[in-house]
Amino acid sequence: MTFDLGKLKKRPSYPFETIAAAVGFSPRLEALVSEAKRLSETLNAKLLLIHVGEKTAKKEDALSKMLSKTGMDMKRCQVIWADGHPVETILSLCKQHVVDLLMIGALKKENLLNYYLGSVARKISRKAKCSVLLLTEASTEESKPKKIIVNGVENPKTIHTLNAALYLAKNYSVKDITVAREVHMPTLTMTMADDSTAPEAREMKKHLNEEESSRLLSMIKKSDTGKIQVKDKMIGGKPGFAISKYARDKKADLLVINSPDTHLNLLDRIFTHDIEYVLADLPCNVLIVHSRI
Amino acid sequence: MKFTHHDLFTLLIAIGTMLIVARLISELGKKFKLPGVMGELIVGILLGPTILGSIDPDLFASIFPKTGATKIALDGITSLAVIMLLFVAGMEVQLQIVLKQGKAAIYTSLTSMVIPFTLGFCTVWFVPEWFNFDNKYRLVYALFFGTAMAISAIPVIVKILMDLNIYKTKVGMTVIAAAIFDDLTGWLLFSFILSLMGQEGEVTNAWYSVSMILGFGLFMLLIGRRVIDKALPWVQTKLSWPGGVLSLSLGLCFLSAAFTESIGLHAILGAFITGIAFGDSVHLHEKAREIIHQFVTNVFAPLFFVSLGLKVNFIENFDLTLVTIVLFLAVVCKLVGASLGAYMGGMSKRNAIAVGFGLNARGAMEIILGTLALNAGLIDEKMFVALVVMALITSIMSGPLMKRFIEPD
Repeated sequence: MTFDLGKLKKRPSYPFETIAAAVGFSPRLEALVSEAKRLSETLNAKLLLIHVGEKTAKKEDALSKMLSKTGMDMKRCQVIWADGHPVETILSLCKQHVVDLLMIGALKKENLLNYYLGSVARKISRKAKCSVLLLTEASTEESKPKKIIVNGVENPKTIHTLNAALYLAKNYSVKDITVAREVHMPTLTMTMADDSTAPEAREMKKHLNEEESSRLLSMIKKSDTGKIQVKDKMIGGKPGFAISKYARDKKADLLVINSPDTHLNLLDRIFTHDIEYVLADLPCNVLIVHSRI
Repeated sequence: MKFTHHDLFTLLIAIGTMLIVARLISELGKKFKLPGVMGELIVGILLGPTILGSIDPDLFASIFPKTGATKIALDGITSLAVIMLLFVAGMEVQLQIVLKQGKAAIYTSLTSMVIPFTLGFCTVWFVPEWFNFDNKYRLVYALFFGTAMAISAIPVIVKILMDLNIYKTKVGMTVIAAAIFDDLTGWLLFSFILSLMGQEGEVTNAWYSVSMILGFGLFMLLIGRRVIDKALPWVQTKLSWPGGVLSLSLGLCFLSAAFTESIGLHAILGAFITGIAFGDSVHLHEKAREIIHQFVTNVFAPLFFVSLGLKVNFIENFDLTLVTIVLFLAVVCKLVGASLGAYMGGMSKRNAIAVGFGLNARGAMEIILGTLALNAGLIDEKMFVALVVMALITSIMSGPLMKRFIEPD
C-alpha cells in the first residue's frame, strides 16, 4: 500500500474532516456504527468503516442491514474491507485515506496478559499517526459528552490537544471544559525530609505549584476558547494516573490527552507511565489527539 | 551475654547524645549551606576516636564501649539504619522518569554510569599500586571502585536543582533521571560485588549471584510491585493511620532484607528493591511517603552517619595522596561520562557540563557504599576516609559549578 506521508505531516489536529471507525462483527457493532454516524454528522465529516477480515456475503448482508437500521447516509460513508494484520492494516488504511480521527471500541480494562501483550485498540492508540477515540461505552442512543476533561501537561503538543477538545466542545455545544495539570515532584520528598524546615518545605511546594499554574493559565490564554469557559485545575499525583483518576472521580464523559511522545513498548507497560496508566484502566471515553507537529 | 541495666543505660546515653549533637551541628551547617550528612560525620569525628578518644579515652570508652553488649546493640541499630536508608533510597527510584525523559536522559544515564565505572575499574586493574588491597580480590576491588565512581546522590542533587530553580526544567529532569538510573544500577552492582566477597570470585558463584539478583529483582518489580499496589489502598484506609502503612512498609523492608541475606546476597538488596516496589505505587499517599522519609532520615540516618566517626580515626587514616587520586578520578570520570551523554542527547555544551557537575555530587550514598565495603573487609580505613572526603567535596562543589555553567531555560 502506498500513501503520501506529506499529506499527513503538519496537518492540523482539527477539524476532523475524515473519520474512520474500525468495526468488527461483535455485539457492539451497532452501537459503534451509531456513534460513528452521529459524530460524522455532527462534525460534517466523511466516514470510513474499516473491517479487517474476510469479506463474506453473510457479513456484507449483516453490515448493510446495520447501516440501514442506523439510517446511515451512504453518500458520505464508505465501507472498506481489508485482509491482513488488524493493527497494521487499520493504521495503514488511516494513512492512505488521510484519516483525522479513528474511532474504535475498547474494553475499560484488559486482563493482565492482554494488557502486556496489547489488544488491537491499545496497540492502535500507541502507534496511530492520527487522533484516536477509544469508546468504552458506545451506545445506540443519542448522547453528547457534557463533561470534557483535557490533560494540560506541559508539552508543545498540549495547545493543539486543547484546541481539538475546544473544537469538539463547540460542535457539541458544551459550555465549559476543564484543563487539569498534574503536578508530580519526584524525589522531592526525600530531599525535603533531609534538610528543610516545615515552612521551607511548604514554601517550596507552593512555589512549584504556582509556577505550574501560571504556565497552564498562559497556555489556556493562547487557545481558541471562543465562548467556552475553560476551567483550570491542578492535581497532584503521577502523570497519567492522576488525570485518569480525576476523570473517573469527576464522572467525565470524555478525557482528551496528547498522543505519546515516544514509541511505546513492553518496558513502558512494566514501568507504567503517562498514557499507559490511562490505557491500563480507561476512566471513560478517551480521545488521544495526534497533533502531527 | 546478658544485656544489663548498665548496658541499657550506656546505650541510651550514646543514642541520645548522637541524635541531639548531630541535629545541632547539622542545623549549624545548614546556615553555611553544607549538606546535613557533613554535620553528622563531624559529630562522629568529635565524639569518636579522632577527637574525644584522643583527648579523654576513658570518657570515650564509657559512652561508646569498644566491646560488650552495648557495642553489639549499637551495631545492630546502625545495621538496621543502613537497611532503612537503602529502603527509602529505593522509594525514590522511579524508572518511568528515565523512560519518559527521552534521548538526553537515556544517553546521560548510560554514559554517566558506564564511563565512570569503566575508568574506575581500569584504574584499579592497570595501576593497582595506587591502592591497598589483597591481590586475590583484585577483580572484586576493581568492580567496587568502578561502582564507587559511578554512583550519585539523589537528595543532594535535587536540593541543588531546587536552589538553582531548575528542578522542573529539561536539564533538571535529565539530571534526576540519570541519578536514578545510576543509583539503581550502582546498588545492583554493589550487591553483586558483596555477594562475591568471601567466595573468592568463583565464576559459578558469580552466576549464582547474578541469577539470584535478577530473579529477586524481576519477582519484586513484576509481581511484588503489583501486590503492594493492590494492598496499599486497603492498608491506608482500613488500618490505623499512619501506623498501618509504616508497619507494612518497614515490615516488608526487613522481611525482604532477611530473605536476600539468607540466599547469600546482602540485606541491602532486599531493602532497596522493596523500596522501589513500594515507592512506585500510585496509591502511596504523599503524606505516607513523607512520614517514612522523616522517620528514617531524622532518626536512623544520623545514628548511622555519626557511628562512622566512632569507628574510624579520620586523622590517622587520612592519606592525602589517596584522597587526591580518588577525588580527581571521581570528578573527571563523572564529568566526562555525564557531560558526554547529555551532549550526545542534544544539550548545549554548557548545559551538558552543568549536567556533569550536577551528577558529580556523591553525598550520603557514597558514604553508605564505602561503609558497607569497609564492613565487608573489601576496603581499608584509608580508602574509606578517601571516599568520605570525596563524597563531601563533590557534594559541596556541585551547586556552585552547576550554577556557573547552566544556561537559562
